[in-house]
Order: sequence, then C-alpha cells, then structure tokens
Amino acid sequence: MAGKIIFKGESDLPLSPVSSGDMCWNRTGTWRYIRPKYEDKTPPCGTACPAGVDIVGFIGLLGEGKYEEAWNLIREENPFPGVCGRVCFHPCESHCNRADYDESLAINALERFVADRALDSKPRPPIRRTKKERIAVVGSGPSGLSCAYHLARMGYQTTVFEALPWAGGILRVGIPSYRLPKDILDKEIADIQAYGVEIKTKARLGEDLSFEDLGKYTAIFLATGAHVSRKLNIPGEDLKGVVSGLDFLRDINLGKKVQIRGRVAVIGGGNTAVDAARAVLRLGGSPLILYRRSRDEMPAFDEEVAGTLEEGIEIRYLTGPIAVIGHKGRVTKLECIKMELGGEDETGRKRPVPVPHSNFTTEVDTVIVAIGEEPDLTFLPEDIPVENKMVSTDNAARTSRKDVFAGGDVAHIHRTVAHAIGFGKRAAISIDCLIRKRDVNSLLQEIRVGENGTLSVAKYLSEMARRRSHHVVTFEELNVAYFEHGERNERATLAVPERVRDLREISTGLTEQQALKEAERCFSCGVCNECEVCYVFCPDLSIIIDGGTVKYRINYDYCKGCGICIAECPRNALSVEKEAR
Amino acid sequence: MKRVLSGNKAVAYGVMLSRVQVISAYPITPQTTIVEELSRFCAEGELEAKFIKVESEHSAMASIIASSLTGSRSFTATSSQGLALMHEMLHWAAGGRLPLVMVNVNRALGPGWNIWMDQSDSLSQRDTGWIQLYCEDNQEVLDTIIQAFKIAERVYLPVMVVLDAFFLSHTSEIVEIPHREEVDRFLPRFEPEYRVHPKKPQAYFGMVSPDYFMEFRYKMQRGMEETVEVARSVDEEFGRQFGRTYGIVEPYRCEDADVVMVTSGTVTSTSRVVIDRLWEDGIKVGLLKVKMFRPFPMEEIKRVLKGVEKVGVIDRNISFGHGGIFAQEIRSTFCNEDKRPMVFGFVMGLGGRDVTPETIEEAIHVTLENSRPKEETHWIGLKG
Repeated sequence: MAGKIIFKGESDLPLSPVSSGDMCWNRTGTWRYIRPKYEDKTPPCGTACPAGVDIVGFIGLLGEGKYEEAWNLIREENPFPGVCGRVCFHPCESHCNRADYDESLAINALERFVADRALDSKPRPPIRRTKKERIAVVGSGPSGLSCAYHLARMGYQTTVFEALPWAGGILRVGIPSYRLPKDILDKEIADIQAYGVEIKTKARLGEDLSFEDLGKYTAIFLATGAHVSRKLNIPGEDLKGVVSGLDFLRDINLGKKVQIRGRVAVIGGGNTAVDAARAVLRLGGSPLILYRRSRDEMPAFDEEVAGTLEEGIEIRYLTGPIAVIGHKGRVTKLECIKMELGGEDETGRKRPVPVPHSNFTTEVDTVIVAIGEEPDLTFLPEDIPVENKMVSTDNAARTSRKDVFAGGDVAHIHRTVAHAIGFGKRAAISIDCLIRKRDVNSLLQEIRVGENGTLSVAKYLSEMARRRSHHVVTFEELNVAYFEHGERNERATLAVPERVRDLREISTGLTEQQALKEAERCFSCGVCNECEVCYVFCPDLSIIIDGGTVKYRINYDYCKGCGICIAECPRNALSVEKEAR
Repeated sequence: MKRVLSGNKAVAYGVMLSRVQVISAYPITPQTTIVEELSRFCAEGELEAKFIKVESEHSAMASIIASSLTGSRSFTATSSQGLALMHEMLHWAAGGRLPLVMVNVNRALGPGWNIWMDQSDSLSQRDTGWIQLYCEDNQEVLDTIIQAFKIAERVYLPVMVVLDAFFLSHTSEIVEIPHREEVDRFLPRFEPEYRVHPKKPQAYFGMVSPDYFMEFRYKMQRGMEETVEVARSVDEEFGRQFGRTYGIVEPYRCEDADVVMVTSGTVTSTSRVVIDRLWEDGIKVGLLKVKMFRPFPMEEIKRVLKGVEKVGVIDRNISFGHGGIFAQEIRSTFCNEDKRPMVFGFVMGLGGRDVTPETIEEAIHVTLENSRPKEETHWIGLKG
C-alpha cells in the first residue's frame, strides 16, 4: 500500500476521490466464499450418441469453417461420418436441448456436410505400428471396422476377415444405395485401410478359415453380424417367390439383376421391411407392407416410415400372414388374419392377438419376409456361451475366453450402425486393456460420456480430454436469454417421382450457407466456446483470456466470488464450489 | 435551418449537435421519443455514439457515469419514476464531478398513475448536486442542451435540462437548428482534467474518511456557486454566436410593476399573454421566469424583485407539509433582507391539469387584492 498522503486543505484535494496509484494491492479474492471455476460438462447429444462422437466439438469447428478439423474430430470416435451422416437414427437430435427452445439441431445433416466436404481428402499416411501384438477381427461391418480402426490407431497390426468378396457388412449388403451410396462407403473403408487396417475378403469363418487358424492372433474380435432371416413358420413358405428381405437387399446391393414385378407383399415392420418395400418400388414392383402390430410399435426409423408413406407405399397394420398359397409351385396368394393388440410382451410392446374368423386372402406375386434377423453362430466353439441366440459378452465385450471378444449385432439387440460402431470401439479399448494389463472396468467408468454407456476413445487416449464432467446439461441449466430463435435448416430431398425412378440417393445434403447457419444454432451445452459473456460481465476484471487447454481462467487474487460469470454463462460451462477456509 | 420539431426531437437534435459519444437510456413516457430519435441518429450514422441498452434507469445512469469517467461526452434522458429510480446514481454522478447532461421530461409520480406534466419528479432531486435548468419552449430546449454541456464541462457538475411533459415534449414548434460547424466552434471536444485510462489504473470514488469528506462537499458547493456566473457567461457567449439568449432568470415587464409573478416552464408563456392583456387594462403586473433552479440564483432574483411589494409564485409541484417549492425558495431568498416582499404561493396544474390564462389571472387577482397572503399556499382550480 502506498504511504499516507496528507492534504493541507481543500485546494490540495482532487475534485472527487481518486486513488493516487493502482489498487492491485487490494486482493479482493480474500472476500470470496464461493469459487467459480470453468468446468465443461457433457452435452445431451454427446451422451445420446452410441458412437460417442463429440458433437458439440465438431459443430463448433464447422461453425468456424474448419471443415477438415471437424471431420477429423468426428473420426476420433467414429470412422464413418459419411455413413452415419446418412443412415444414423440420430438419437442426438431427440436429446438436443434446443428441442425445448424451438427445434432440435440438424446434427445428422451437419455430420454429412462435414463428411461430404472431406470426400476429396487425401488418405493420410499409415499409423506407425508401435505394438507387436496382432489382432484378428471377424466381420467387416460397422462394428468390426470400428474396432479395427481404433486398434490400428493405437498401433496394433489388425487384420479383418470378411466372408463376402466386398467389405462393409450390413452397410454393403443391407442398406440400399438410395440411403447410402456405395461410393461413400468405399471412401470411408479406404480411409480406414489407409490407417494400416488389412482386410481379407472371401474369408468366411467356419468355411474359408477355422477358429483354430485365428490362434496366432493375440486377440480375436467377433463382429459377424446377424444375417440369417427369421422364418415365418407358416405353410407354403418354401414356394417359389417367397424370399427373405435380407437376401433380396443383398442381391440388389451386390448389383445382381433382380426381376421383381407385380404385387409384392413385404412382411415385417423393421428397417429391413421398409428398405425392401422401397427398393421394390424402385425396381418397378408394387409393394405392400403387412405388419402385425400398429404404427407405434414399428421398429423401423420414423424418417424411413415417413419416406415410405410419402412414396405412396401402403402399410397394412394389424395384419399377420398365416399361409402362403401357390399354384404350380409358385406363390399366388397370401392368406392373412386380422390382429388386435393385447398385453405387453417381453419387449414392452403390445402383443398382437389374432381376431377369430377374420381371415382373408390377397393376391400377390412375391412375398418378402423381413421379420427380423439372427446371427449365424455355427462357427462358434462350444465353450463360448450363447444367450438369446447371441454371443454372450460382459460390459467389456469379453466372452468366456480371455482372448475372444464380440460386439455388434452378433452380441447385442441394439442393432443400429451407431451402436455397432460403439460396440467395436468398446472392444478395441477392452483389447488394449487386456494387452497392456490395464483395469478395464474402472477405465470404462472414467471414459464414459455422460451416463448412457457411451465411450470416448479420445478420453481413453488422453488425460486432457477427460476434463468434461459426466454431468449432462439440461435445458433448465442454460441461460437461453442469449439465444435467438431460429428455424432448423433441413436438407433437401428429391421429389417422389424423381427418386423412385432408380436407386439414386434421396437426400441432397445441406448447402454450405445452411450448414453454417445451422451450426450457429448449437447451444454448445456445457462446453465453453469462448463466447466472452463471462469476460464482459466480470466486475473484477478477473477473467483472464490467455490460451491453454481451457482457454479462460479466473484470477482468484481478485475474483470476489460474486457468481455473475456462472449466472450469465449461456451454456453452463462454469461451476461453483464452496471456498475452502 | 428551420424545422418543425417537438420538444423531444429538439432534445435529440441538441444532443446530436453536441456530438455526444455515449448514450444510455431506458424508455419511459413521455421521454421515449427522445431516445427513439437518438437511436435512429446512431443507426443512420448521423451521430457517432455508442448507444447502450440497459434494463433500468439506475443502470442507464451507472453506464454514463462510467463512460463519462473515460472522458466521453455522455447523455441520458428520463422522466418521473425513472428519475426516481436513478436517485442513488445521481449522487454518484454529482459527487464524482462528472459533466453529464440529462434531460428530464417533467411528469407526475404515482400513485395515482399519471403520465402528465408535474414538476415533482425533478424537484425531488433538488439536493443531489445536479444543476437544474427549466425550459419554456422547444428552441430553448435545443439551445439549452448545447449550453448545458459547456456549463457542465467547465464546473464539473452534471446538468439536468427539464421540459414539460406533452406541453413541450410532444408539441411541435418551429425550431432553428444551428449549423454543426457553428456548434463545434461553440462546444469543442471535451478534454477532461483526469480520466480512467487502461494504461494508468486508478480507483475512483473510493472511501473517504471523516478527515476529508467535508472538504469534498465544500468543493461541490463552491462549484455550484461558480455555476451561476459560468452559466450566465455561457448564455451570453451563445447569444453572441447564435443570436439567442435566455438568461438564468428573465424579467418581463417588471419595471413599475405593482406585483410580479414568478414562473418556470411553459406556464411562463401563458403568463406572458395574460400579463400583456392586464397591462392594456392598466394593471401593472410583471413576470419573472426562473430558468435556473439549482444553483438558485438568489442575487439575480433579489435584484429583479427589489422594491416589489407583492410576489406571486406559481408552482406545478407540492412539497407535502409545506407548499410549493419555488415559493419556498423565493421566501428564503429574502428572509435576511430588511425590505422583503409578501410572497403568495400558488399551487396549480398538478398532474397535467391545464393552466389556462384564467387560472393565472385568478392567481394574479388574489395577489393584487390582498395585502398579505391569507394562507401559506393557495390552491388554484381545486374542485369543490
């Protein structure tokens, strides 16, 4: 403190009280009884994403025009931004806090925008192998390739065995190209291979190679999917003209000439049924979907059902087939029975109950059966247990054998691309933990994104990335006074007459202008995006902007703990703790 | 350039011509059109000022206290409840010796809720250390804004320019708008003696011990005393350059008058008409317009009213438990004089009630017909 100044009279005094020097000696931080701190939290989109993508992070980069950085950030967690930006059921959007304000963010469309921008990117040089262990992955679907990709990035030599002549699994043979063009898939598989992942095709486990052949690998990840169509188990199912939905889609996707004409009854309410019906329409047939429950119980994604109806395809609900009727060995009619909904079954959906004497027949030329798929487990050694027709695994993707892991549709009932990618990642982390003798259970706790079981590889690989707390930010915790209302930017789709002509992609994606506008709508829940609101409001000039991993810091020498920064922060990126005394 | 302007637009032109750099205000009837016009000037680039939107008048005053400390010429405008909400900050502005200018559009305070003319809002802020100037017409409003900055920046005290709700704020008159360059010449850029600067961190308005507090207050009082002379010379300088002067008080037909009526604001104009007519009838009534209320120009008033037997004071305000405030001030001006006039206090026109020529005439007749006031305060126009 400066020495005492004596004024002789009023004429010595300034007009109003002014300090003679600065007041830095007055460390007002000692007045504080609460302490604000920067603490990034988990946004609801992030915890909802089964693939664990840092959604707020990539949208922030996109908004700054850093498209390639955004693409790379997605690929920290998920090697399939172009695929997911098209086919993902985007639970992130249903959990988006913005939905409570006006409309949820078009996250899926933004992911696709980022991926499309990177289509011309050059493959990166392969990652150097830093580990001597070799890992075998069986199956080149989203789960197998996700696992192989993450293992390769950790430095492991990884070989993927694929039964078919082409890699991609369900992405290749299950999803029609009007939803996922093949060149997009090819590009992303090529990007994965560029990391040093080796893919061996025409290598079917149980036929082209045996389980014992895989013994030379340190660990094995089984991701063979679920490719066996369930049967109706009704009379006439063996007649010519009755095909399984997956077989039908596989033939189309592999470019086989598929002759389909006339009335085609598609049986089922899942994505396979819907995909099959829409493919039939594109091949010139007249599809009709028969589903034994109602619209509410349909497992197919809402958007796909909406698209189906938009294209004029009829869905007959509460209708179950009881017999396929044929003439000269070929299907001509389908006998059905009306259903009504009864009590809930083991899946929590209402059980269909046949209405007595409501039988009727309808003339059909083809029947496509798409009532679900199951894994083919004929290759599996007997000592590995099976549960509900799936490989039994624990939380760390481990089977009963120490070195055998399983994930994706072969081991789980959550059968979406995003889930498969997440399960592949979980297995990669678990395999790394096995080899490096790390405690996988406590690590999985630490690297989760929020509370949903989603995992982050970035968190696994870097201590720094763990700074976001597990707390999931709710809408009520935001200060929405800072956000303007704004309409969601939807991607354009082709008009119906144009899209049903062939298998061309329906959706055309966002324009750059739309994408940037949409990115601006993101609240960045719980994640500081350097908006400077705290800096502007701090009455003690105690917000210091000087770089580092967390860009802002608080000067606790002078922060009085008034809490304005916390109250004003639009996105709950600051927290408060009691001052230790 | 002559334009037809409402009082509020005249304010905005005055502010624009004064090249104000920071404006912060919160809307309130009947002040709102002032800030609307100013925000338009800012938006259209006619005025290069930072317009700070705030959530209350308290914050508006706090904002311009801060901006004024940086040496920026700063302005706000308010009325009634808004001014009352500013009260605490008014002390900070004056005690901080900041040359702010604020317009207050005189309006009654509720309840009963009332948006019309009444002087009680500005007079309630009498002791905050603000200079107060009351205007009679729209030309005077515009000219007074320009003068106010010059006065404020010379004596380092804030100035409140006051105009009547609706009678001036929303009534249009022909107003001469001075040339920008002329105003620039009259009112050059403000170069304060001291200011907040990032390169020289200092704390302002800190605690002052009993050892020095009185000295700071003494300096404020001295500043106020100087203001009378400063305001007079600024007005004269303005007159030399623009051809219009107002004085800090203005006597009208006071020579040989038997009684003099003391007025402020728009009542003055009505009174001029009444007085002219009474002179035609041989009734000798003078008028004293008081423009400057703080500091109260006692010497000027004494000079004008010297030898006058009876003075009637018109107040559009009431200090409950005493009477009209201007009347009190006139009485106290003379209390130590050997020869002092009888002072008749008249309260009229509260809450926007019309003060017609007849109302004023009634007050004049009471003054003429009685040798001394029958009561301390006469209420004119009271029902029943």
